[in-house]
Amino acid sequence: MNWKHIMIVFKKELKDIIRDRKTLFSSIILPIFLMPVIFLIVGGGTERMNEEMTTHITVALTADSYSLAAQNFLKKSLETQGEDITIVDPVEDPWEAINSKEAKLVVSLDGDFEEKLKASEPFTLKIYYDNSLSRSGGAVGSLKSAINKLNGEIAAQRLEAAGIDPDILTPVLVDTENISKTGDGNMLLMMILPMLIAMLVAVGGIPAATDLVAGEKERMTFEPLLTTRPSRMSILTGKYLTINLFSFASVISTLIGMLLAFFINPRSLSLGVGQIGGFNLDPGSVVLCLMVTLLLGMTFSGLQLAISTYARSFKEGQTYLSLLMFAVLIPSYATMMVMPSDIQLYMYLIPILNTISAFKLVLGGLTNYTGLILAVVTSLVYVALSLVIAASMFKNEKYLFRS
Amino acid sequence: MLELIGLTKKFGSVTAVDNLSFTVQKGEIFGLLGENGAGKTTTLRMLATMLKPTSGTARLAGIDIVKAPEEVRGRVGILFGGESGLYDRLTVYENIQYFGELNDIPVKEIKKRIQTLSGVFGMDDFLDKRAGKLSKGMRQKASFARAIIHNPDVLLLDEPTSGLDVGAMREVQSFLRNQKDEGKTILFSSHTMSEVEKLCDRIAVIHKGTLVDMGTTDELLKKYGAHGLEDLFVRLAGDGR
Repeated sequence: MNWKHIMIVFKKELKDIIRDRKTLFSSIILPIFLMPVIFLIVGGGTERMNEEMTTHITVALTADSYSLAAQNFLKKSLETQGEDITIVDPVEDPWEAINSKEAKLVVSLDGDFEEKLKASEPFTLKIYYDNSLSRSGGAVGSLKSAINKLNGEIAAQRLEAAGIDPDILTPVLVDTENISKTGDGNMLLMMILPMLIAMLVAVGGIPAATDLVAGEKERMTFEPLLTTRPSRMSILTGKYLTINLFSFASVISTLIGMLLAFFINPRSLSLGVGQIGGFNLDPGSVVLCLMVTLLLGMTFSGLQLAISTYARSFKEGQTYLSLLMFAVLIPSYATMMVMPSDIQLYMYLIPILNTISAFKLVLGGLTNYTGLILAVVTSLVYVALSLVIAASMFKNEKYLFRS
Repeated sequence: MLELIGLTKKFGSVTAVDNLSFTVQKGEIFGLLGENGAGKTTTLRMLATMLKPTSGTARLAGIDIVKAPEEVRGRVGILFGGESGLYDRLTVYENIQYFGELNDIPVKEIKKRIQTLSGVFGMDDFLDKRAGKLSKGMRQKASFARAIIHNPDVLLLDEPTSGLDVGAMREVQSFLRNQKDEGKTILFSSHTMSEVEKLCDRIAVIHKGTLVDMGTTDELLKKYGAHGLEDLFVRLAGDGR
């Protein structure tokens, strides 16, 4: 290998790819603008959905069970439980009412509910809701919570009337306190960001990889290149560096896009669930995490180069490399919900999972040097393996001149 | 200058080139004739060190293609197809410069060589244009300049006029004559018999990877009593057609 030759190839490939507007736009420029749009739309949508489920809960009685007494009972007993419930006019058809937004929920009461209430007998309050509509299905919880509070109030009144202390019903008082240092917003970011980074690092180099070997074969520039002085390893390394640079550039542009989204609306990155911030980052873990990410990119760049070398044409290269994308997507989605404290040691040993785990760990403010160092060491082995595969393909005339 | 010694290439059980031996002298244009799949491209690829011979070897100015492939590559210029080997997103200048740099030519010398080649091929008007925007004829000129930027001793040309119109073909022929005059050794394969007849000092006919015969056109025509090169070709490589 000759560094002068490597740099000549690298510089040329870089120049060539920068001039490829299509690739440059879709991989580097588009994410910068697309990410804010996605996060703002999805985040804004989730926030609106949450709002719809928990605020302005309109409840209507069915016309069948309507009476002035029932209407007043609901108003008096449910609107006062602090759940933002409003009792609206009765409706004929519950489904129609919910779907036409007349009410989010519809209820019916037993016809003799007043007598039963007076006689301290239970009566039924039936809730009609449409689970296919989040504003209706999601509001049931609030109504049930208000009814529970009402049950508590009525039970307490009855016990007091009987001269019994209502506290007799609650022998155990439950008190909860969330002591997690991670806010709800950070939790969601912990699910999305590691997955996104691992996926981008692993597949970001695909456009460059497709173009640099399979594309060259198709354009018939590959054979003249192979007859120049540099060894195949020098040519391979120059192309390998370009793919690496390209995959990291696509990650950086995506992160810039995410930062833009954060600056426009800080809640957008957590999809409206909560605020992001207050991370407690351990510098050592951050460095190891970045090393694992870098090595993942290098591993996949090697694999992409090998696949592109195997392909006869640009189109064939695209087809094979898109299969690689599936190999990345499956572990990414499978571990999306895993929390930092749930990460098993074996996860640090598997490509993709190791990067996701390392990022979750760091964002969660936890430290696990054993896991991270294991991830770095195994990643080095994967890089070496992928390079050996790429080099053997690049040296093998059976693959280079497949037609 | 170029010596093939029992050059053989097998792909699995298929022998693409079988024990090919001949010598091409300095300043000679040597034509390689054969049908599609006869082994012409494989031979040229071996000589350009793209493929490793299964057995046998070749020497280029005394340098063995198996033992010192990198050294050989610096002395060979290739053109496979009429206008191939250009990067569309690079300018003509950048394309030629890239191949000069890869062949270890100093930057100053590359600049000088490009200026000279631009004059020779009449490329001044489109030297700074991207190759993807050029006409076929312009691309062909740029491809030639790219192939000889490092002033190679040997030119390996695989059907360099395929797909070109008459005018462009004449330019190729004129280019090859100039290179011959400069003392370059040229090995080229072609399907166009009239072109071979016009240009080649000697020809070799290969069939199914084997050398059938070689010599000057006149020698071979006389030897086989053929009426023209086409007739000769059919007799030697036409499977009795």
